[in-house]
Amino acid sequence: MNYLHKIRKYFGSSLFPSDSEMRFHAVTLSFIGESKEYETQFLKDYFNKSLLQVRISLVLAIFFFGIFAVLDAILVSELRTTFWIIRAVVLVPGVLLLLLSYNPIFEKYWQAAISALIFFAGLGIVYMTIISSEGIVSYTYYTGLILIFIFCYALMRVRFIWATIACWSIVISYEIAAIWLTDTPTIYIISNNSFFISANIIGMFVSYSIESYLRREFFLARMLEDEQIKVIKIKDELEIRVEERTSQLVHTNKELLLEIETREKVEKEQARLEAQLYQAQKMETIGTLAGGIAHDFNNILTPILGYTEMALDETKKESPVKSDLEQIYKAANRAKNLVQQILTFSKQQDQDIKPIELHIVLDEVLTLLRASLPSTTKINQKDPLAKGVILADPTQIHQVIMNISINAFQSMEESGGILEIALERFVIDRDNAIPDTTLPKGNYFKLIISDTGAGMDKNIKERIFEPFYTKRKIGEGTGLGLSVVHGIVTGCNGGITVDSSPGEGTTFTIYFPEYEKGIAKSESLSTRLTKGKEHILFVDDDKEITTMAQRMLTHVGYMVTTMTDSVKAFKTFQKQPDIYDLVITDQIMPNMTGSQLATEIRQIKPDIKIIIITGYSDSINAEKVKELGFNGFIIKPLILRDLCTTIRNVIEIE
Amino acid sequence: MGSVLIIEDDSEIRGMLETMVRRSGFSVQTAKDGFEGVQSFRRNPSDVVITDIVMPEKEGLETILELREDYPGVKIIAISGGGRHDAKNYLQSAKDFGADYIFDKPFRPKEIIAAIKELLK
Repeated sequence: MNYLHKIRKYFGSSLFPSDSEMRFHAVTLSFIGESKEYETQFLKDYFNKSLLQVRISLVLAIFFFGIFAVLDAILVSELRTTFWIIRAVVLVPGVLLLLLSYNPIFEKYWQAAISALIFFAGLGIVYMTIISSEGIVSYTYYTGLILIFIFCYALMRVRFIWATIACWSIVISYEIAAIWLTDTPTIYIISNNSFFISANIIGMFVSYSIESYLRREFFLARMLEDEQIKVIKIKDELEIRVEERTSQLVHTNKELLLEIETREKVEKEQARLEAQLYQAQKMETIGTLAGGIAHDFNNILTPILGYTEMALDETKKESPVKSDLEQIYKAANRAKNLVQQILTFSKQQDQDIKPIELHIVLDEVLTLLRASLPSTTKINQKDPLAKGVILADPTQIHQVIMNISINAFQSMEESGGILEIALERFVIDRDNAIPDTTLPKGNYFKLIISDTGAGMDKNIKERIFEPFYTKRKIGEGTGLGLSVVHGIVTGCNGGITVDSSPGEGTTFTIYFPEYEKGIAKSESLSTRLTKGKEHILFVDDDKEITTMAQRMLTHVGYMVTTMTDSVKAFKTFQKQPDIYDLVITDQIMPNMTGSQLATEIRQIKPDIKIIIITGYSDSINAEKVKELGFNGFIIKPLILRDLCTTIRNVIEIE
Repeated sequence: MGSVLIIEDDSEIRGMLETMVRRSGFSVQTAKDGFEGVQSFRRNPSDVVITDIVMPEKEGLETILELREDYPGVKIIAISGGGRHDAKNYLQSAKDFGADYIFDKPFRPKEIIAAIKELLK
């Protein structure tokens, strides 16, 4: 602003405004004081700007100074040789100076050199007027000096101080010559001096104003440049600062976005974990509650079942009360099964957790499933099943796969469909990576069971693992199946997720942690079920068990006759003892125990192979079985693989 | 036939056991806990003892231990609903302490009777 103000002040005021910052010597015009530093720059700039004009002026001066030689021949023919010599003495240095102007050295001495040339040219003219002493020359040639003054002050770009010295020296030499060396009439001297002095004063004024103008212009240009540099510098600095600030802002913005994103993620994760925790707590609470109730129920059910059974024994076959009692007995048995399931769900039931090969259990269940499959549905097993070991109760894993598969079949009951089963290895690379589970990172087996059935909506999906939640109509199911599955899977430190939407089928994905220690070879189950074709008499007072055994054993090739009454079983055997290769009998049965039955049978056919089924609660054990001379025993619950292996072992022993 | 001592704190189950055992032709005495049960056994020893596990005063495991120690030949059947915990753990312990048969509730009367008959053979 200060600078603009100065420019306005300059252009708006007089030609030589006093400037508070620009200082130059009043006579020499050199920059002084604070402006002194500009002097060298100014002289250089002045030289560069003047060079062309100096050369043109030199050419003009040489030309005119030379052309006037013609005048010499006309006006002073007798002295013309002298005059020409004088002109030559001036012209030769003039030409040399012109040539010298193309040399760098010229810059250093040009003011002095030109001033000297002018002085000598003036001196030459003065000398000419002296030697011609009289006549026209002495009266007219002095005008040549006026021309020299014009060249000196205005054209040759000689600085004011140099021009003043050169020109006044010429005037002084003229005075000396006119007054002392010649008899110039006083009137001429006065008139000539009037012209010389006035011409000089005008010239000085011109020169002074030109130089001071140029200096001022230079000064202002320099100031402008300085200011511009400052402005550019400030602008650059500003730009750098803006850039820095911008990049800072961009960075901050990025960080902020990242922070927001992270926070959103954390909040989401937190909400998920809270929901999971809530769900887990809910399940646990329900489990504890249900478990407690279940035990009380067992106590309540004991007399109901017991008295009903006794009453049934006391009731005649044709009595109408008998069927009523049977209904009570059936209902109470359903209650008993339900309690068992609740106990499984609440993990309060005894478990036989050991290293098992998941693919073998799966294979076994698939065999069973195929045997009992409705014709409308198909099982599609994705090969190969991943092989490896998990820690679990094989019976429970059996139950898990069965429960889910039965649900799947039920959802496909009407329209038919495909049940797809896959078992693959899976690595969870960070904790809680699987939604709806709290699985830590590690190696897992992923069991995928999917159907093409009716599927379910979100609301149902969220609740399917809750105990007593069921989609089925009242009376069709207990609603415990999937909660039991959930209980078992989490009991194995696994996780289960469900993916389903209406009309799109349902996929259950179960994660079981791999048991890295593997399995002892002796514990390893052979990969294939041992099959056979022998005829087996299977006796157990539990109808469910005989049905299941018949299905399982028929599937692997045996011919099976089942009986639920030991006395009747004995009679059946007695009729055709030779058709049976093996008798499998439960130990605890009413009327006649398994060992009693076996002993009786042995009396008919001493070499018949006998396998006794015992509950964990029975006192019979391996030693006792051997002592009694039986071939083998199986502990409940019946597992197809164990059953097959024991049967083969017993049959093949000679 | 034989005599059976029933030790059970739940009166309904005790009554049912008594009824079914009596109907099967055995003579029966009952006790509502282990303390009473052991006292009554000392007074009048039975052939078979059926005892619940979780009971007030003297629970089943202690009862089994005490009877086994004093009467090595006694036959014992343990029954349990498992209290609020694992029935099978209790029953397994009972077996380890010397019970000949163990049953969890709800049991079937015929099973118990079959077990008694087996023990009295």
